[in-house]
Formats: sequence, C-alpha cells, structure tokens
Amino acid sequence: MNTPEKKPVEVVLVDDHRMFRSGVKAELGGTVTIVGEAPDVDTAVAVITRTRPPVVLLDVHLPGGNGNGGVDVLHGCRGLTTADGQPVRFLALSVSDAAEDVIAVIRAGARGYVTKTIGANDLTRAIQRVADGDAVFSPRLAGFVLDAFGAAAGEIAEVDEELDRLSAREREVMRLIARGYQYKEVAKELFISVKTVETHVSSVLRKLQLSSRHELTAWAMGRRLL
Amino acid sequence: MRVDPERTLTWPSSTLNRLGFGAGVRQDEGMPTPYERPVPPTDTRFAERRVARPTLTRPAEGRVIAGVSAGLAAHLGWSVRWVRILFVVLSIPTGAGLVAYVFLWALTPLSRGGVVDGRRRAVDPADPAAVAGDPVSGDPVSGGPVLEAERDATRVLLVGGLMLALGLVVVAQNAGLNARLGILLPLLVVAAGAVLAWSQLDDRQRGRWLGAESGTRRFSAARLVFGGVLALAGLVIMATRGRSLEAIWDIGAAVVAVLAGIALVAAPWGLRFWSDLRHEQAERARATERADIAAHLHDSVLQTLALIQRKADDPAAVNQLARAQERELRAWLYAGPADSDATLAAAVAEVAHEVEDLHGTPIDVVATGDRPLDDGGLALSRAVREALLNAVRHGQPPVSLYLEVGPLGVEAFVRDHGPGFELEEVPEDRLGVRQSILGRMDRHGGTARVRRLEHGTEVVLTLPAATAAAQPNAAQPSPAQPSPAQSVPATSEETREHA
Repeated sequence: MNTPEKKPVEVVLVDDHRMFRSGVKAELGGTVTIVGEAPDVDTAVAVITRTRPPVVLLDVHLPGGNGNGGVDVLHGCRGLTTADGQPVRFLALSVSDAAEDVIAVIRAGARGYVTKTIGANDLTRAIQRVADGDAVFSPRLAGFVLDAFGAAAGEIAEVDEELDRLSAREREVMRLIARGYQYKEVAKELFISVKTVETHVSSVLRKLQLSSRHELTAWAMGRRLL
Repeated sequence: MRVDPERTLTWPSSTLNRLGFGAGVRQDEGMPTPYERPVPPTDTRFAERRVARPTLTRPAEGRVIAGVSAGLAAHLGWSVRWVRILFVVLSIPTGAGLVAYVFLWALTPLSRGGVVDGRRRAVDPADPAAVAGDPVSGDPVSGGPVLEAERDATRVLLVGGLMLALGLVVVAQNAGLNARLGILLPLLVVAAGAVLAWSQLDDRQRGRWLGAESGTRRFSAARLVFGGVLALAGLVIMATRGRSLEAIWDIGAAVVAVLAGIALVAAPWGLRFWSDLRHEQAERARATERADIAAHLHDSVLQTLALIQRKADDPAAVNQLARAQERELRAWLYAGPADSDATLAAAVAEVAHEVEDLHGTPIDVVATGDRPLDDGGLALSRAVREALLNAVRHGQPPVSLYLEVGPLGVEAFVRDHGPGFELEEVPEDRLGVRQSILGRMDRHGGTARVRRLEHGTEVVLTLPAATAAAQPNAAQPSPAQPSPAQSVPATSEETREHA
C-alpha cells in the first residue's frame, strides 16, 4: 500500500485449528512474524499478555474461557499495550458469517473482520492496516454495518457525531466496500484520499463499538455481553 | 438446504452404528435385530392388527360414558349396541363387566377425529359406529365441540350414576341385603368418585386441545371436587364400619404417621428418581440431536469429501465441490428456522450459488435489506444471473455481488476484477447477454449500466420501489433514477448503455 516496505509485523495467531494455523504461517511467511500461537482462550490471553504483539489474528470461535470465544480473549486482554506504547490490536478472522458473531467481536474491540477464505496478500494488507491503527472492513462486514445502522433503509445521520447512524459519506464508503472495492478504489470513486477513507472507516468502527442502537444491543444481548 | 427430518430417519443405521448412535436409532426405526426378538408381544400384534382392523382407541365422538364400547366395537367390527349390552349384562351379576370397562378405560388412549396422540387412527369407513354418530342415542356427530363437550359431560353424569345405581341394587338384591352391602356400598361410592375424577382427567386433555372454555372448566372442577368427596366419603364409611368416629381418629393418626415416615424414607429415592428422569430426557434429546447432525454430516460433508478424494487430480472440480459444500453447510448451520425462499435476497443468493456451481468461480454475496419477491425482483435476479455469468466467463475473480434493498428501490452491483473490455471488442454473444440484461431491467422500470473500472467491470442494476415495480412499465427508460445511487458521482469511465 502506501507504505510498502515496513519491517515485518509481529503477530500472535489465535485459532483452535492447527491446520489453519500452519496454513496461515506458511502463507504469511516473509511479511509477518508469528511470535506466538494459541489454540484456546486461556492460552491466548497468556500468550498475548506475555508477547504483547502489535496485532493479534483472532478466531471468533474458540474453546475455553466463558464460552464466548474471541470475545473472551478481547475482554481478557483489555488495556494491553505493546512495548512502544501502542495498544494491542485485534483482527477477527472467522468462517462464521453470522452477523451476531461478527458484530460481537467488533463491539468487544476488534479492529476489523475478515473471512478465513481471504487471500494471503489481502490478509497481509489487512494486518498491516490494523497495525497502523486503521480498521479493516470486509465487504460482508460492511453489509452488516449497513444493515445494522438501517443505512440501507435510508437512515442517515444529520450530524457526523450522531452515534446511532452513519453519515452520508460513511454510508457511501460502506456501500463501496460492500461492493468489493478496495480502499484505494473507494478513494478514487469518491474523489477523496485513502487517508480520508480510512478516517471514515475508523469512524464507522467507533460508532459500531459505541452505539447503543437497538439492533446492536439485541445482538450483544444475544451474546450475553451486556 | 436444511436437513429434512424424513431423510434423517431413513438413514442407513449401519453408518450411525459405526458413529456410535446405534441404540437410539435402532429404537426409532424399530429395526428388528436378533437380540430384540422377545419384545412385548403387544407390539407386534399391534402392528399386524393395524393392517387388518382399526386400533383400539376410545373415540371422543359418539360416546356415552368414555367411548370404550364404541372403540371396542370399531376394533372388533361388532355392533356398538351389542357391545354395550354385553358390558351391562356382565356387570349385573358379579361386576366383571364394570371392572373390564374401567380397565379398558384406563388403558385405551382417547382419539379425536381418528387421531391418537398424533398417530393416524385407521378409521374403517364401512363401520358406521366408528365414523357416524351414536346409534343408541341417535345423536349425529354434533357440530360445535363445546356444545358436544357439555352434552358429553351431562351424559357421563347421568348414565354413570344410573348404571352404578342399577348395579348396586342388583348386587344388593342378590346378596339378600346382608352385611356385604356394608363393604360394597362404600366400594361403589369410591369407584364412582374415582370414575368422576378420571373422566375429569380425560376432559382436561381434551380441553388442552380445544382451548378450555371457562364454563366447562368450572363444571369439570366441580366434578373433580364432587368425585374426590365421594371417594373420601366411601373410604371413611368403609373404615368406620361398625365403629365410632373416635376409634377411627386413632387409626387415622397412625396411618398419617406411617405415611409421613414412608415419605421421609422414600424422599431421597424419589428425588433421585426424578432427577434421573430429567437427566435421561435431556440425554435423549441430545442423542436425537446428535443423530440428526451425524445424519446431515454423512449426507453432505462425508459424501463431498469422498468425491473430493476421487477427483483429487482436478483442482477446479475440488474447489467447486468444496465451495458448494461450504455453502450448504453454512446454510444449514446459520440459516434461521424460517424458510425465506420467496424473498428477493434469497432469490439473488440462489442465482449466485447456481452460477458458482456452474463455473466454479467463487462469488462473494453481500445483501442488505430484503423484500418479498415480485415480478421486478424476479427480473432483477435473472439479470443478476446474466451479469454474474458474464463476470465469471470474461472477468477475473474475485467476483462480488452486492444487493441493497431499501425503501427507495433496489440496487445490485456485480463486480469482477478482469481486464475490462472495450465495447468494440465485445463478442456477439456477450452483447446479446447485455441486451437481455438491459431489456429486462427496462421492462420493469429499472436501469442497467456497465461501468468500466481500473480493475474490472461493474454492472449496476437498479429497480424502483416495490409499489412502482408492481405495474411493469414498458417504454420508460426512467430518466430520474429513483435510487440512492444518485449520490455516487459518475466517473468518466462510466459507459451508459442507454446511449
């Protein structure tokens, strides 16, 4: 992307399938350093607390903990920072397409969500983006967001600060991501910079995490997060 | 593609046995195994007889007391009248008919409209007693269930009381009015009370099916109380025979003490029995669920894995199989209970899956909002299909499909990452396809356009809101686009097909 040659990002890989972990390790090889692995919630919290990586690749469904999988890891690692003071950031990775699973990990603090079928290049890019503090929205997550905020039904925030709705621009960004556009393409389409796109996406992420919109609350309630 | 319960039941049990679900399934299927030969003989006889004659049940329709005679007559193929006469005749000298009647009453399930506990009762249409009304009272099958219930209840009281009185008198006469009456009278009183209370149980079950009326409920409550008092009075009379009430008092206290002692000793067993029962029920439910899942996995995943192994040298086929299986499993795991085949989003997703199966190229489907499938929606889904076929044939993966259903209209975006195309280089067939996309959307008041992007092509289909789409508007290329896509600035690369 705009900063192509960076030093490899240190990543902890949390997934209960050994085959998937080794697959990801083989794929990511040079661009990312895997500094730790964990197959369940408790090991994950221990490993992350010990290694304090900038990015954690987190499976949504994990054994152990309170039975909430990735959400438990996020709760267990709340407030952790890396050696240079950055917060430990999480990228959710799942085969689940169920909206409540995805929304639950995002609301618990994950910076993005990608499906496990994602290609190696896209995954590397997503990890890099999360390490830089940006949010990663897959088309599917964008679709969920549009659904959850009623944006598809035409509900648009008057003021950008309104937490329960998306602004018109945020909605456009989400729509383009849902259509399969990369951030770069979104920027081109809307005549804005990639940085601005990232700002919009982060703002949507913040709304997603803080909003008390009842659909989100219902999801959270279903997962016993409240 | 949800698993259908019938299919899971017809599952080869050998497979399930291997998976460790043998016991539960064998029971479900009633599989005859050499070790299960000595099943209770009623079971096999029951099965044989079901073919020959109707199952023994107590029909709720056309009964006088509890429907035992009517049911027995239907079962044996005799006349109801004769069965009833037989019962009465047997009751008079020794009370054997009465005992047999009560016995059958307790053990025969009640049926209503030929249905017993969800099973179909084979009603013999040639037997008027089983189908038509009561031949004794001449009543036809009554219209209103409430009315019938009320009449039933009254009949139960009248006939039951009458019969008991009759039996009592006859018995007393036979015995020459000696001391035996002192035992028999309270016995009969107890029996009457029990009968009243039990018939109440019957009606409670019926009330659950029909939605109990408050009037009949009060009536049946009164009956229960009356029955209980009657039975109690009978017991007291029997116990106090020839003694004063004070003597009984001591006995009563002793009995209560013994009962309390037994309750105290038996309580832990009772509790454990109860919890065991609950545990077993939960266990059975879990086993059924597991059998269901195993059945589904075998049907789908294991079969696909076998296929994949056989096609290991064909990566495209393997990919396609894996993809299709993933989708199927996902649908089974995450789909809601409601079948939503008739909605636009479901139709479009179905189309995408079809194209995916046809060509083996993965298509990412994202849909927000939904609405019922109408003519316009159908046209849209067909146009989406053409666009997807285009994308997988001429473009490059990833191919993505985004469907947004809002109050102002429907938009669908089909995007591929191919090299794009020049209009002049477009082969004839593709132009034809495009015409069909455009023509189709036009006919339903929508629009279609093809945009060329830096990487790939995007087909944008729009449809106005459902109300407008209801009347297909032929020659109107919809100058004002009634969709939120207005706010997307048109780029220079955009090619409007209308031009």
